[in-house]
Amino acid sequence: MFSIRIVRRPLCHLTMALLLSTICISLSWAGPDARALLKESESRHRTRTQLYAGELTVVNKEGKVRKKGWKSFREGYASDAKNLIRFIDPPEVKGVGFLSLARPGGQNPDQWLYLPSMKRERRIAAQDRDASFVGTDFNYEDMEEFDHEKYKVALKGEQHLDNIPCYVIEAIPVEKVGKSVYEKKILYLRKDNLYLFREDLYRKGEKEPAKRMVLADLQQVEGHWVARKMEMKDLKKGSTTTVLLKEIVFDRPQATGRFTLQNLNREGGD
Amino acid sequence: MKKRLELELRHSFLLVFLLFPLPALAQEFSGYAEAKGFAYAERWQGRDNWGLGWGTLFSKLEEKLDEVQLTASLRGEGISSDGEGALIFDPADREIRRSPFSLRDFWLRIPLGPTHDLQLGRFQLGWGKTDGYSPADAFLPRDLTDPFADEKIPLWSLRLSGSNGALRYEAVVAPVTTPWRLPVLGSRNAPLTTEVVPAGTVKEVESSPPVIGFAALRTLYTFGEWDLGAWGRAGVRPAPLLEFRFDQATAAPSGLLVPVERRYAREEAVGVELSRILGSFIVRGEAAALFSRDRDLGDAFIGSLSAERGFGDGTLLVTLAGNARETPVDASQLFDRAILPAVIIAWNRTEEWGEWKIVWSAGLKHGDGLLKSEAGYNLTDLWKVTVGYELPYGQADGPFGALHSARRVQVALRRSW
Repeated sequence: MFSIRIVRRPLCHLTMALLLSTICISLSWAGPDARALLKESESRHRTRTQLYAGELTVVNKEGKVRKKGWKSFREGYASDAKNLIRFIDPPEVKGVGFLSLARPGGQNPDQWLYLPSMKRERRIAAQDRDASFVGTDFNYEDMEEFDHEKYKVALKGEQHLDNIPCYVIEAIPVEKVGKSVYEKKILYLRKDNLYLFREDLYRKGEKEPAKRMVLADLQQVEGHWVARKMEMKDLKKGSTTTVLLKEIVFDRPQATGRFTLQNLNREGGD
Repeated sequence: MKKRLELELRHSFLLVFLLFPLPALAQEFSGYAEAKGFAYAERWQGRDNWGLGWGTLFSKLEEKLDEVQLTASLRGEGISSDGEGALIFDPADREIRRSPFSLRDFWLRIPLGPTHDLQLGRFQLGWGKTDGYSPADAFLPRDLTDPFADEKIPLWSLRLSGSNGALRYEAVVAPVTTPWRLPVLGSRNAPLTTEVVPAGTVKEVESSPPVIGFAALRTLYTFGEWDLGAWGRAGVRPAPLLEFRFDQATAAPSGLLVPVERRYAREEAVGVELSRILGSFIVRGEAAALFSRDRDLGDAFIGSLSAERGFGDGTLLVTLAGNARETPVDASQLFDRAILPAVIIAWNRTEEWGEWKIVWSAGLKHGDGLLKSEAGYNLTDLWKVTVGYELPYGQADGPFGALHSARRVQVALRRSW
């Protein structure tokens, strides 16, 4: 009986060792998981609040330049994000406001646009989500925070962009609750800090990306990585909108009631 | 002499406000200068000109005094027609003709908490959808000096507004009546039919509108993709009722001269509104019951149904509106109810170069209508040129058809700052 136990224990250890080795080898072959990367990215870059002043430059394919300015307020992040944007320049769009409130369960966020000429808000319907956001190359869906929980994600490999190694992740919208303008998004996530470097946006039924967003001029502000330059290219129209982020502030308490329809409708308000 | 000097000093001050940004006082200063020209398809009874010029200078000052918002704006304009009134101080827009200077905004908004505000002063109310028809909004005073501009007149009022979760409310008291401003009666913008005035001209009698205005309460509840609202109001209806005093008619070289007086009726109204996202549409329905003991106004039951859909960077809005009650007098004399029943189709779109809009309003009672369109081209971020036309058509007894002689094209150049 004793001898049998002696024999069995090394066998048991050997089996365990083999099993662990197999798991480790399998893991090393599979590489990191896309979901885990996106979760880690969100965890690293999540901030409670963010405020900035944006300087927008819209250049159409003929090279005509239009400039706009907005102030952006955010509370929460991704799945619980609340956003308020108020245009401050030029006079024709001054006072235009945009409010986006995330909804639970992967539903599309509630979005409203306030036009000073109307003196009241207008709700953004699903159909409008592909409309240009106040004459820029962003549409209303682009104005949402990226929430990986609303996508089926898969790691497609690695690629160097501008000599920066990136993970390439395919994100396909899960449309059980909320519909998307896009069939898929290809995300390029920097390997060094898991910050989004580029996003290629594919409209439904199209094989080539319709738009491309590039985040550049990455800097540390108050301990958080932030891209000070955001560029959205409409590859079909040939136009580009560049947003320069200024006066960035993180994690400051937001005014109570800032993300409400009452505040959106305040003429001359923030 | 002293009075004249005071008047000149007052106008000089207004001009200074319009022309200079006063940077020492202003947190933000904006405005525009616009030159507009109209060319009409015909002259009206050989009197109104083929063309019309319209110059506007608008200045707005916005300042934050801690949490309190102060906004003031002033408009100065010159019109090459008799639609413009005398150079007088008319801060509540109660005069029969519009003054060359108009105070558009002069208000303070004082926060009473994070989600409750008190706003007082002179400001514009907006309770409806632009380019459609909303019974809640339609009664608010318009300036019809330009009958196609659909220009709202700001009101002296006190507004308490706020929200509690998904529930929003707005209580408004307008202590002074600001009446609708009508075009010159008998002009191409307000032609008089021969049944009402057999021959000759009318004489508009200056009549002081009642001092007391109206009070209104609106609530709106948002849940999911639904918005449900209810409102009520009581007080003086700002649209006048016209009284042709044939008993006081006098003979004039051109024929009879009939005095026209204006009076203002009291009216109570309640209404509901419901809207929701339905697939790719935003569908909106409104119903209102309006009650008045006035013999010429009577009661009304007005409903509207609209569907709005986005097409890329454009929006199509289709509205059907009607009044279930017969009006005691010709509806065209009731202004806010004149076009009912009607279908209004509005399509606007933003382009890289600017934007354009087409609105077709079809009166279902008289078979008349109005087709209007405009396109705005952004020369730069600050310069914009707009071209457009207004094409009323149909039977002359309809509110649109009556404006047949006012068919026109327009061009405008605006510089903003």
